[in-house]
Amino acid sequence: MSDDPGRTREALDRVAARLLDASVYERVGIAVGSTGLALLIGLVVVAAAGHNPLLFAQQLVVGSVGSTGAFTRTLRFTTLFILAGVAVAVAFRAGVFNIGVQGQLVVGGIACVLSILWLAPFVPNGPVGGAGLTLVGLFAAVVAGGLYAALPGVLKAYYGANEIITTIMLNFIAIGIVGWAVDGPLRPDDARSVRTEYLPEGVGLPSLVFSDPNFSILGLGLALAVVGVVAVGMTRTSFGYDMVTSGYQASAATFSGVDPQRTIVATMTLSGMVAGLVGAVFAIMIQGYFIDPSGIGTYGFDAIAVSLLAANNPVGVVPASLLFGALESSGSHVQIHSDVPVQLIDGIVGIVVLFVAAPELFRMLAKRTGLGGEKR
Amino acid sequence: MSLATGASRRRLRLGGLALLAAVALAAVLVVQFDVPLERILTVGFLNRTLMLASPIALAAVGGLYAEKSGVFNIGLEGFMIFGAITAAATLSLVGASSQLHVWLAIVVAVGVSLVLTAGYAVLLIRYKADQIVAGLAVWFIGLGFAPFLASLLWGTVRSPGLASMNRYSVPYLSELPVVGSILFNQSPLVVLTLAVVIAAWVVLYRTRYGYWVQAAGENPTALDTAGIDVNRVRYATVLFSGAMAGLGGAVLLAHAGTFIGTGDTMVDGRGWIAIVAYLFGNYNPIGAALAALLFGGLEGLQVQFQTVDIAVSGRLMGLLPYVGVIVVLTVWGKTRMPSSVGEPYESEE
Amino acid sequence: MTADAPPAVRLEEITKTFGDVVANDAVDFRLERESIHALLGENGSGKTTLMNVLYGLYEQDAGTIHVDGEPRSFDSPQDAMAAGIGMIHQHFQLVEPMTVLQNVVLGHEPIDGGLVDEDAAREEIEALCNRYGFDVDDHLETPVEELDLGTRQRVEIVKSLYRGADTLILDEPTAVLTPQEVEGLLDLLEELRASGRSLIFISHKLEEVLAAADRITVLRDGHAVDTVAAADTSRQELARMMVGREVSFERPAREAVPGEPVLETEELSIVGDRGLERVSEIDLTVRAHEILGIAGVQGNGQTELIEALTGHRVPDEGRVHLRGEEITDVGRRQRLEAGIAAIPEDRNAEGLVQEYDLVKNALLGNQTVPPYANDGWLDWSAVETHAEEIIEEFDVHPPDPTARAGSLSGGNQQKFIVGREIGHDPDVLIAAHPTRGVDVGSLEFIHDRLLELREEGLGIVLISSKLDELRALADRIVVMYEGAFIDEVDPIETSDAELGLLMAGQRLEEEAERETGDRSTLGETRPEPDAEATVDRRSGGDRER
Repeated sequence: MSDDPGRTREALDRVAARLLDASVYERVGIAVGSTGLALLIGLVVVAAAGHNPLLFAQQLVVGSVGSTGAFTRTLRFTTLFILAGVAVAVAFRAGVFNIGVQGQLVVGGIACVLSILWLAPFVPNGPVGGAGLTLVGLFAAVVAGGLYAALPGVLKAYYGANEIITTIMLNFIAIGIVGWAVDGPLRPDDARSVRTEYLPEGVGLPSLVFSDPNFSILGLGLALAVVGVVAVGMTRTSFGYDMVTSGYQASAATFSGVDPQRTIVATMTLSGMVAGLVGAVFAIMIQGYFIDPSGIGTYGFDAIAVSLLAANNPVGVVPASLLFGALESSGSHVQIHSDVPVQLIDGIVGIVVLFVAAPELFRMLAKRTGLGGEKR
Repeated sequence: MSLATGASRRRLRLGGLALLAAVALAAVLVVQFDVPLERILTVGFLNRTLMLASPIALAAVGGLYAEKSGVFNIGLEGFMIFGAITAAATLSLVGASSQLHVWLAIVVAVGVSLVLTAGYAVLLIRYKADQIVAGLAVWFIGLGFAPFLASLLWGTVRSPGLASMNRYSVPYLSELPVVGSILFNQSPLVVLTLAVVIAAWVVLYRTRYGYWVQAAGENPTALDTAGIDVNRVRYATVLFSGAMAGLGGAVLLAHAGTFIGTGDTMVDGRGWIAIVAYLFGNYNPIGAALAALLFGGLEGLQVQFQTVDIAVSGRLMGLLPYVGVIVVLTVWGKTRMPSSVGEPYESEE
Repeated sequence: MTADAPPAVRLEEITKTFGDVVANDAVDFRLERESIHALLGENGSGKTTLMNVLYGLYEQDAGTIHVDGEPRSFDSPQDAMAAGIGMIHQHFQLVEPMTVLQNVVLGHEPIDGGLVDEDAAREEIEALCNRYGFDVDDHLETPVEELDLGTRQRVEIVKSLYRGADTLILDEPTAVLTPQEVEGLLDLLEELRASGRSLIFISHKLEEVLAAADRITVLRDGHAVDTVAAADTSRQELARMMVGREVSFERPAREAVPGEPVLETEELSIVGDRGLERVSEIDLTVRAHEILGIAGVQGNGQTELIEALTGHRVPDEGRVHLRGEEITDVGRRQRLEAGIAAIPEDRNAEGLVQEYDLVKNALLGNQTVPPYANDGWLDWSAVETHAEEIIEEFDVHPPDPTARAGSLSGGNQQKFIVGREIGHDPDVLIAAHPTRGVDVGSLEFIHDRLLELREEGLGIVLISSKLDELRALADRIVVMYEGAFIDEVDPIETSDAELGLLMAGQRLEEEAERETGDRSTLGETRPEPDAEATVDRRSGGDRER
């Protein structure tokens, strides 16, 4: 069978087989199953707390896609989750547990705001100056986030300090210090709430498509571009192969010539750079200034769930972020229109993560129910 | 206990350097800024340190048992949150505030933690869940459901003032200088913690159960071929770790008297610090308790600085334990972990 | 020993399958009382599975177990132990940070007032040791991790005896021992037999089996081929039964003579992770067209030396040269690119990413090498072609580049690794245990390839614990002991006995002069020819045949 069409066919089959690998189905199944089951548990809790679960479910839908406003809000959160999710996925894929995305986004956000505020007096007003400052802000956030993540990377690589714990500690520290600063030295005298100066006019991402002032399609575009760059980088470059191989099996990566220490630091830095970008987008696109970070949504933590749902695949992060964006968006709706405490949604996110951690559970469920029976 | 000599030598050197730096810093503070050291290191400070260290020490002893047996219980923080909210909810629901009710609340908190841990243990051991991800999930669930429950009960994520645990006082003896206050005018929960720590040490190193725990984490097959069910040992230690973390959370609440559900809740990273405490204590319950004391002391400094009017932001001072954790992990990072931690055990195939 | 006493153990028609693989197919086995019975077979022939069934670790699909004539069924090792059966696994079942005493009593601790009664345990263990002449009681308070492998093995045996074992199963007990330690172990086994114990001895080494056992059962592909008395058989006959065909023990002829030095070290010293010197002042030279064999008991610094050669470790002192150029501080990646290929010691952990398919594994180590990578960008179609070439040329089964590496058998994994590592005309190949855990077919294939590579001009460093492999392939053999090369021998001139003594840190002539020995046998003063004869009893004197 050496005629050309046959071989092409063979190659195509092989590609298809790899794309539609059973494990891909399985992962999607686990993601859908985890989310569905967690939502179901959430509704049971709602009922147990004496509220109407059907009404609550309806509010979840209305609050996420029920109106243009709700949908734009969903996209706004989706943008943040995509970036934060990619930040987590980069690290988890390489076997480094960066739980510090929340802290890195705080550091990135404040660096973004401060660099813009400091440079603003030297830059002419108007759209060009604004765009320039915006770029400076994004750049500063990337650098600051990267550096703040490089620290636990170095501590892990060269001193053996468990990165899970150091990054969690660095979250507390970032939030504490930035919180202190925005309530102290950085707080303008006329500010009635805890915040920095407002960013100058012209700094920001234009809304373009939707009328929501807090969402720009450019922000979403930026997030998707980052997904593209990271996805290509992971699968098509030597560095990406080094990183992913380290995540699968560090000993084999080392034997193949990967410098494990440098890879850990590079991974953490890359992850932190993307995390810093989350902070910048949050500050520029949504807030317009910086607030006490203990009041910022826990995007960095929810991103762990996003990434895990996506099996740490940057492309998979997009649909997972849409789901979480919708959940977060309906949370805003629930907070106003329902008596059910909104913290429930955080709890549901936690349950999603718990289920994602135990794929065996779903394999067993699948076997018991006879779904996907012939797969192992 | 033999340590890798090279690593331990490096550790000692770094530890010495850290100690030297701390002493130098203290000296600079005292001389340069006229800090009244004698007014910072008071008996009250020591007492507060003991109280602050107790929840950490309890969770650390629990986590240590789980890890010794081969299961990394990274959910300590979450179980502490559950312990605290359960104790608070119990106190609020029974509506009475005698010391007996505080004890009841603690017992209920431990019970509820045990039930929750049982589900968690099944996921980890039977369904071989990823221990790191599942542990994080427990934290997230705690961070969500504890404030949720608080909102349902009290309308806000903060409880009103609840009963708290009083100190006992032994007549006459409590008048003794220093010792009197520490030993005879103390929270019974500190004494309970001490008892737990000592019992944990004896069980781990002097009883057959301790042997089994150690073997389950180092070489589960050896234990299995000796006829002991490895997973039963692991179920026991994970349950114990959840119960101790829950107890730690309840003790935290019983000392504070109010549940706070804002931000990272009142537990605020103590479960994570507990993990570092047992690493620092080299998996020895007494070592872990001493490490907890260190972190408790760092936390207590905040109050001391306030009482002597040193103008450092309370919020910044509150970060000291977290900085301490990073320093400890950096200097002491390469602890020798039990070799089979994180690996599910199956006896056939 | 009455004539009609039932056998200690009788296995009848034992069948055990794992998925589609039949590990044991209706195997019969009969262990007479007070005898040493060897279970001989290749890796994967089902020896260990059969014994794990007997020990209660696996449950058989069919068949019955009789102990002392009684049919028994074991759900767990505990049941087996209760019936007086103990097993010493190839990988010792010891808890390394715990003391010898704690390990021996684990699971059967004497209790006094709720606490473990260490005094009672100590007395009982000492009594046991005195009865059989074990030295284990000297180390009761020592953590196992501080003991050498031979002592650990004796701890395992004492552990079984402490638990009341009448029948002892030893799984590949000699794999980690020096030839002299092996001798000591065999004497110990005879001692145990004399005291009324029955022993099963699993091995794939013909010499040992012939030397130690009364009777030998040969397993092949899960079937019991035959059971023979050791006195009535020969090495050749056993080998034929094991492999199913004639096996040649001939050393193949070679044409090319060694050329220029390619890889050299100069006074190389390495301090290990624990602060002890693991490699001391090693001078090594490998030439083109040469295979340099390194013999030694595991743990004598080979791992550290390999790491310094491959570039995974910077030595503390000394220099490494490639074709005359110093590369001491050059990392693994640059060395790879410069032509130092390596077959890793641990193929599962280092050689392959188990979760990757063979295409992705074909890139491992080549991820910066053209044509697979150009300026940091990967060319997956080139990698795929490479994977297909390796599979074809090295006869890897299944011949499917999308197969997951972890699903391949050990032999096929190893062939794939060898194919990948020599794919780019390296100048040097560091081959660490290239045939460990590999079936006979793959073993011969890999040996042939290594010899071909030598003819083509490669300099090969061959680290192996198999003396026959070293003697069949190497041009020179150096012996490594406690971090140093203590001697160099000619693979044709030398004997297993000489190599064995060197591996134990002694020279043949020194041995003859020694007054007393700390090891149980060979310590006696003995004239040289005698020593040779003693060891040759085991080695079967293959060179003479």
